[in-house]
Amino acid sequence: MLICCTASPTRAFATAVPLSDSTALPRRASVPTALIVGASIVTILLVTAALAQVVAPYPFDQMHIRDRFAPPGLRYLAGTDEYGRDVFSRLLIGSQLSLLLGVIATLISMGIGVPLGMLAGYSRGLIDEAIMRVLDIMMAFPPIMLVLLILAITQPSLMKTAFAIGILSAPPIGRVTRSVTLDLMSGEFMEAARARGERLHYVLCRELLPNVWPVLMVEASLRVVFAVLLGAVLSFLGFGVQPPAADWGLMISNGRAFVEKAPWISLAPGIAMGLTVIGISLLGDGLREVLDPRLGRRQ
Amino acid sequence: MNDALLEIRNLTVRYPGTTAVRDVAFQLQPGEALGIVGESGSGKSSIAGAILKSLGASARIAGEIAFEGRDLLRLSRADHRAVLGRRIGAVFQDPFTALNPARRVGGQIAEPMVRHLGAEPAHAMQRAIVLLRDMGIHRAEEVAHAFPHQLSGGMKQRTLIAAALACEPSLLILDEPTTALDVTVEAQILRLLARLRQQKRVSLLFISHNLGVVRRLCDSVAVMYASQFVELGRVGDVLEQPAHPYSKGLLASRPSLRAASRGSRLSAIQGQMPSAPRPEAGCVFAARCPFAEPRCTGGEQSLILTAPGHAARCWKAKTLGDWPRLAVEGTDLGEFRPGNALVNTNRLRKSFTMRRGMAAWRPSLANRWPRFRYQPTQVAAVDGVSLTISPGEVLGLVGESGCGKSTLGRLALRLLNCTDGSVEFDGADVGRLSGTDLSAFRKQAQIVFQNVGSSLNPRLSVGEALERPLVLFGLAKPRERRQRVEELLEMVRLPASYRLRYPHQLSGGERQRVAIARALASEPRFVVCDEPVSALDVSVQAAIVNLLADLRDRFGLAYLFISHDLAVVAQISDRVAVMYRGRICETGTPAELLAAPRHPYTRLLLAAAADESPTAEPSADIGAGATGCTFASRCPRRLPSICDTTVPTLRPVTSAHAVACHLDPIAKQQCGTIATASIPP
Repeated sequence: MLICCTASPTRAFATAVPLSDSTALPRRASVPTALIVGASIVTILLVTAALAQVVAPYPFDQMHIRDRFAPPGLRYLAGTDEYGRDVFSRLLIGSQLSLLLGVIATLISMGIGVPLGMLAGYSRGLIDEAIMRVLDIMMAFPPIMLVLLILAITQPSLMKTAFAIGILSAPPIGRVTRSVTLDLMSGEFMEAARARGERLHYVLCRELLPNVWPVLMVEASLRVVFAVLLGAVLSFLGFGVQPPAADWGLMISNGRAFVEKAPWISLAPGIAMGLTVIGISLLGDGLREVLDPRLGRRQ
Repeated sequence: MNDALLEIRNLTVRYPGTTAVRDVAFQLQPGEALGIVGESGSGKSSIAGAILKSLGASARIAGEIAFEGRDLLRLSRADHRAVLGRRIGAVFQDPFTALNPARRVGGQIAEPMVRHLGAEPAHAMQRAIVLLRDMGIHRAEEVAHAFPHQLSGGMKQRTLIAAALACEPSLLILDEPTTALDVTVEAQILRLLARLRQQKRVSLLFISHNLGVVRRLCDSVAVMYASQFVELGRVGDVLEQPAHPYSKGLLASRPSLRAASRGSRLSAIQGQMPSAPRPEAGCVFAARCPFAEPRCTGGEQSLILTAPGHAARCWKAKTLGDWPRLAVEGTDLGEFRPGNALVNTNRLRKSFTMRRGMAAWRPSLANRWPRFRYQPTQVAAVDGVSLTISPGEVLGLVGESGCGKSTLGRLALRLLNCTDGSVEFDGADVGRLSGTDLSAFRKQAQIVFQNVGSSLNPRLSVGEALERPLVLFGLAKPRERRQRVEELLEMVRLPASYRLRYPHQLSGGERQRVAIARALASEPRFVVCDEPVSALDVSVQAAIVNLLADLRDRFGLAYLFISHDLAVVAQISDRVAVMYRGRICETGTPAELLAAPRHPYTRLLLAAAADESPTAEPSADIGAGATGCTFASRCPRRLPSICDTTVPTLRPVTSAHAVACHLDPIAKQQCGTIATASIPP
């Protein structure tokens, strides 16, 4: 829940500073380290998730009764759990669900938040007030309670979870989009567009969106992270993916009982989640830097 | 043998990838004032930064900065801090952000005295009030207890100067201290600085892009170009007989306060300053120099004496003539003859709601029942302005910041809706247009902005930006668009290859050219130029003004040319309107206005531009002028009986000259014969 509140508005403002007057010279492209590290982590994650069924040394639900609680080693890279299932294989399969959830939820929240935020920032006045107050009300709900409510009264499924998280993430995206839009509205190129009598959709899509995009990259990466974590929390609480399916949250939850005897059962998915979070965040940061028009990489 | 207060030897400042200051050397005697003049990016502020050690970690500083016998570059941080503030005071460009908005002004002036001199806070506060009085502030106690947002820009700059002088330093560094201020306020600050120099015997290092300002204040001047001093000498010598071609160009490109004919053009310096100059490969100015010859690019240029105490970095400085004058030959069209009105504003009024939302609900006791009423505060930015612009005519609009001139420009284009009155374009009421009629109006009336940093969308290439009006108004078939874009670029004298560039890859002047091309892409008949050159360097400014004049002649464009700079307006305009607090106080041809100004405010503006007579302090007192003449609170000739009660209307003085002043003798006589106040075109 904390993550929801730290939706980094300060960073959004920092990048939305009006373009400097100084003549930016075409600088030679140097790829930021954050981007390289983040992109590598995310690429490895995506590739292994896509090829999980091929890469995994064992089927994720195969039990090795004699090797229950086997510690990490050559035979079982991340050890085995209480049924003797290979933790590493389950990690790989579980990453599919986690990443899918994160990406779908983020796409949904962007699809809702970005148009609303741009419209609010562009129109000001009553439309702005109406949109922002509705988003405020949504933000006032404790997010996990709302998701739990949705999932408790209906049958749990990945799409429903993604949709619930997506709607919950829309208000912060909308707020960031609006603040960037407000800042851009003071730019004289917006006034030039009005002096030509441009229509709303052209102004929003062609003049505003490309400028909002770099800032949103960071926000989107945070949202993916948030969705992955929230998905894990839901599984942990038993409202997400159901056993015997492999899911990081579920694995942590199951391993909880054996934390002293076999810590790797919970630790391995925990570390995987940490790496995912760091990788995506770095990627978002790096992308924003590259996409920033002031740095002159689009020759 | 050497009693210089400040002596800089071989100062070089490098940033990664570029050298900002190269081999700069000068001396400053106690009580002397040195001006450093150059365009943006020439490295002049880096010199101040090197002295103040405020350049940041990436700067590499070499050389020697001897101040009162000690090398500042070799002092420890603690020792350097003790020198700063105590022995060296500094004032920067932007008075609006330099004061801490959360602290009272007096405390901020007293702070350095408490810190450096160990003064008692109460005593320091007393000193602060005395200092404020020294700065020519009348109600010093009140100002000392005010917060920064309660002060005007000029007042803030005065308090900053007071803070810089608090510990009675021997050197005051001023980095563009008047650039952000209106001309009338600038004149006051400059007079204040000149007085302080005499009274307190403080030396000044004055950094500016404005030669005129330096002339008023300094003994000697250094002209800086592309990281080097190119000329150094007494102010009179350098400004009267500049030796280096760059100084000649800079002086020639500054428009003088004279009315110009339609065919005349400003002398501009072609090209732009190199971003990474290489003086070892020859003169850095050679590429833009009309006197250049092969020998100039043969090797490094050194400063040579052209006269006693006057040095220039040009091997043939002694033999150079004047900077070549430009004029469009054969197109001296003489005086402009107005035809039927193209744009007509009729008693235009725009008021903004200052206090709105929750703050507008105020308790009232009307009808004996306490209740809250919604009472938003209205402020008129434009108040009953009637103007006429003929096809092909340039109407200059002059006034200080906040007088409503930009609002007027936006009202004329219906970028803002007026509260009252109307705008007519080609006989049609612009406020009632809709659909295709509105689109046709948008095509014919365009705008060029001031802020070259934000007038182009950073995400669109120059080609995409120029193509958009063509697509929107269906002006070119898809196959012809590229060619048309290249024509537009050529029209503003940019190479066709710029089509593929993005705004951040252009200089300020180039961006303004693209913005002009974009405005003209829809083939308009009327263009609002809202301070199109105020953000540009003098040499670039001249080129843009010339371009606008050329385009006017080529396409028969009508401009509403908005500027705070009377000299620029006089250069390009056929008629000038002077605006003060939302109202027009005088209109006339530039020649009439400059030779025989009738309104006290026009006189004030002219005096400030030429620095002649004392000027009145701008007053924050909204009360005076609310019912009568807006200028009454600053007017030296105010007659309370009439000026405070009746709004003066524009009355003709001659056929093309009108003034809104109760006290004007000719206008007063005319008053009886002409009932309605109309402005002759």
